[in-house]
Amino acid sequence: MRSAKLLVSLAITMSAGVAPAAEDPALKLPAGFTATVVHEGLGAARHLAVDSAGDIYVAGRNGLMALRDTNGDGKADVTTPFGDVKGTGVQLHGNWLYVSDNVGVYRYALKNDELAPAAARETVVSGFPMERQHADKTFALDDKGTLYVNVGAPSNSCQQNDRQEGSPGHNPCPILEKYGGVWVFDGSKLNQTPADGRRFATGIRNAVAIEWNASQKALYAVIHGRDSLDTLFPALYQAEDNATRTAEEFHKLVDGGNYGWPYTYWDTRLSQRIVAPEYGGDAKKTAEKGKYPDPLVAFPAHWAPNDLAFHDGKGLPASYRGGAFIAFHGSWNRAPEPQAGYKVVFQPLKDGKPSGTYEVFADGFAGTIEDNNPRNADYRPVGLAVGPDGSLYIADSQKGRIWRVSHGKK
Amino acid sequence: MRAGVLLLGMLGMWANHARGADEGQRLYGRHCLSCHQADGYGVPNMQPAITGGPWVQGDPRALAMFVLTGGFDSAQRKESESHNVMPPFAQLPDADLAAILTFIREKFGKGASPVGVEIVAAARSELPGGK
Repeated sequence: MRSAKLLVSLAITMSAGVAPAAEDPALKLPAGFTATVVHEGLGAARHLAVDSAGDIYVAGRNGLMALRDTNGDGKADVTTPFGDVKGTGVQLHGNWLYVSDNVGVYRYALKNDELAPAAARETVVSGFPMERQHADKTFALDDKGTLYVNVGAPSNSCQQNDRQEGSPGHNPCPILEKYGGVWVFDGSKLNQTPADGRRFATGIRNAVAIEWNASQKALYAVIHGRDSLDTLFPALYQAEDNATRTAEEFHKLVDGGNYGWPYTYWDTRLSQRIVAPEYGGDAKKTAEKGKYPDPLVAFPAHWAPNDLAFHDGKGLPASYRGGAFIAFHGSWNRAPEPQAGYKVVFQPLKDGKPSGTYEVFADGFAGTIEDNNPRNADYRPVGLAVGPDGSLYIADSQKGRIWRVSHGKK
Repeated sequence: MRAGVLLLGMLGMWANHARGADEGQRLYGRHCLSCHQADGYGVPNMQPAITGGPWVQGDPRALAMFVLTGGFDSAQRKESESHNVMPPFAQLPDADLAAILTFIREKFGKGASPVGVEIVAAARSELPGGK
């Protein structure tokens, strides 16, 4: 293991006389928590990972970046770009750093106390078709190194003509053969192709937020729900219906599971699974009972869940033990209704099941969204990671700001 | 008497223009706003901006043709970094499309010239099957 790195980190932390990072007053947090800015300026950051020494690895649209705080002031003073992967996914697993882009998952060996990996990139799986919609190949690794890859559907609702008013859905939806689900691979085997994978779960439009829950030994995801009910089916839905009715669904994903896209969606107003209008739905016709699972939690429409992190409770009050933090990137597709999301929520869980209603954990990222256009949000939370002391790290996609949120003494 | 008729006529033209602008804005809100947003700047990575761009300031017939046919097979699609593709809007009547295109050129194209129904009809006549 990377024990040398940990010793270096401990020595730095014990050094005295260094001014700590300033708190960020813009973020609203529960009492007892503070947010400090670790770094800003990475551009369109996406997911991030934090290792046992507190080094931070950030994936982004502009590439990969490693961050280190060498003097213990809470701010990253070494920022090292590395590699040649531009994408969203990044996870640590043992001495490996796994990353992904739109067409593959790769890994780098991390040695001793090095920050940016010197080793060459290895390809774990590549060759996913280059798509535009829902193309990020976010992923999770279980404790045995099994790799679960989110292969989002390059479609809104599998219409015969994508996003075209009144176009019916393909039935069955052929997209589900290669997309719209989670595929599983051997995470230690190199140079695999999509054909080497096995479909683990289907009916998943896009699960950018996908994570292995080590305490439950199970895979979870928060799924982006469908768009454009009103513009595609104006006789059935108003703009307000589109803005508020299609849930972002939180599920435990099981082997062989089918989560209902594109044939159905979870309607937050009716608290029912509804047949999609492309498949004969009339805005109230319920889906066949028991065919698809109910979500563990139905989050508000279009909040855009982009990352999920489970917390073992270390360093936080007991109520956080075993629960899930979810980063909601915020909507574009609620317009003309007011945009929403742009926050990190905490969902309490007991034994992997909801044990209460979710709380808004961190808010205030967006500021005033001028013209109701998400491009004018100050910050948009997109990535989450738990640090070695239990702090929650949050990445932003607007300016590449990274926060560390901790409880009690900084 | 003649001055009164002229005044009434001018008022009528103004009223028609105002109605047309309102209708264009309403139809933009109904069909276009969710992607291109109220300010016409689109959503980074998702849908492109139209504000200040060549579509709303250039050849109105080319604009009409693009909106009728959508972006799926367009040359622009290959260069675009946006995730979503614009669907065709040929299902809308010429008058509705003309109102929308006039509105977006006025609002997002620095007051570019209006698009008459005849321009949309001419573009539509070039579609396979004329529709």
